[in-house]
Amino acid sequence: MVRTLGWLSAAALALGLVMAFGVAPREVSQGNVQRIMYVHPPLAWVAYLAFGVVAAASIAYLVRRAPGADRLAHASAEVGVLFTGLAIATGSIWGKPTWGTWWTWDARLTSVAILFVMYLGYLLLRGTVEDRERAARYCAVLGIVAALDMPLVHFSVYWWRTLHQPPSLMKPGGFTGSAAILWPLLVNLAAFTVLYAYLVAKRVRLLRAEAEALA
Amino acid sequence: MPDNWGFVTAAYGLTALVLGLYWRRLVRREKELDHAREARSRTARAAAGAATVAERSRQPSRSGHPRSEPASRPPLP
Amino acid sequence: MRHARRAGVLGAPILLVEPETVPLVTRDAVRARVPTAIVAVGGPAAVGEITLGPDRERLAGVLPGVLWLGFILSGLLALGRTFLVEREHDCWEGLLLAPGDKSAVYLGKLAGNLALMAVVETLVLALFVVFFDIDLARAFPGLVVVVALGTLGLAAVGTLFAAMTAHVRAREVLFPVLLLPVQVPVLLAAVKATEALLAGEPLGAVAHWVKLLAAADVVYLAVGVLTFDAILEG
Repeated sequence: MVRTLGWLSAAALALGLVMAFGVAPREVSQGNVQRIMYVHPPLAWVAYLAFGVVAAASIAYLVRRAPGADRLAHASAEVGVLFTGLAIATGSIWGKPTWGTWWTWDARLTSVAILFVMYLGYLLLRGTVEDRERAARYCAVLGIVAALDMPLVHFSVYWWRTLHQPPSLMKPGGFTGSAAILWPLLVNLAAFTVLYAYLVAKRVRLLRAEAEALA
Repeated sequence: MPDNWGFVTAAYGLTALVLGLYWRRLVRREKELDHAREARSRTARAAAGAATVAERSRQPSRSGHPRSEPASRPPLP
Repeated sequence: MRHARRAGVLGAPILLVEPETVPLVTRDAVRARVPTAIVAVGGPAAVGEITLGPDRERLAGVLPGVLWLGFILSGLLALGRTFLVEREHDCWEGLLLAPGDKSAVYLGKLAGNLALMAVVETLVLALFVVFFDIDLARAFPGLVVVVALGTLGLAAVGTLFAAMTAHVRAREVLFPVLLLPVQVPVLLAAVKATEALLAGEPLGAVAHWVKLLAAADVVYLAVGVLTFDAILEG
């Protein structure tokens, strides 16, 4: 099952790459740098998806205490922090030539930065609590608190940035809706999601093997 | 607007690099654990093998040849 | 004295002072005149904070953030040590063995933290009023509401995280790292609401921030009460 996911994600990513450079046109206003839109939003989407999985698995763990749920939460957090970091990095790389700056404290960027730090906190808690069962319980609570907090973060940061202030600079990837741009985006969205599932599945399997080795 | 291919390569390249390295780390750790598990089961099987020899000597001989009592036999080297 | 003629033309009084000092009495007298302009001869460096214009605005802009910075720093210290007593004196197992719903422990610790923070915040606020000459009369009722809701938010999550980090060796580092990102909504809302209130706006003008604070408090309290059992299991 895991191997199928692996091959599927490789194929989907290959297709996505071909479409990002072959099918997608050279964008009118931004030029070819707009092709970063085929990696950046998919990475960001997975970052939030992974966080949702952490939250759901955390709730499942607290309710049923199944070690599998805890392993899923742990794996999703690890893969999630990678995707979040990459989302921030690719967004920054995209921002420099288009906005003229590597970073700005606008609503969306600030939210993702906070998400990133929350992921790091989760993994830090995992690493520093020595007893593994206790670490599982504590991280589950943290996962739930952080996930419930994200909507509050969104609202507060959005109001902070847009109330009495004009909306921020042009959004990268405000696409016109042409199919040549939409399809590569959708394919890459799906490809990165499958990649996420594959990496999480592998990580869960590794966690189970590690647990058995220590038993 | 200039094409900024450098930025495009940087973005795609960084993504591929980070995710690739992580994937490779997972694969390597899994192989390590598989080897460790196999090594452990091999030693476990060897220990189990010695036990079955002792068991077999307590059962009646299948060929019908008389066998001396196990207790009177000298211990295995 | 070359500017004396100009003063005569403008019909303005001339005040001679020692370099870099203006007696408080003199300052008050000048202010009482409600001058439309003060011309400092000898440069602004000779005068310092006597200017009443842009410096005051800058101060007003920074003040709410600095105030809440003070609150959260003292909060980090106080909240982080919530379970230190149990930890140091080996009473943690006593907490685990307490009969009944463990959420009572959470609420009890929370109440203690709230009381402690209320004392500290009152002190800090009093110091601010004195040192920065803030007029709290109009803002006070609204300020009480905002500070109360904000403190509840900080303490609700802080007490929970304190229990989680009580056993960890790197507690002093881990606790702020976990707490601060989660508290961003509370801090943003509290600072923006405080800013508006100190600028003279009514509480209704910041209703959305107040609602956010209230919603956050409800969420944090609910999670704290529901999950504390799991924290105190072992």
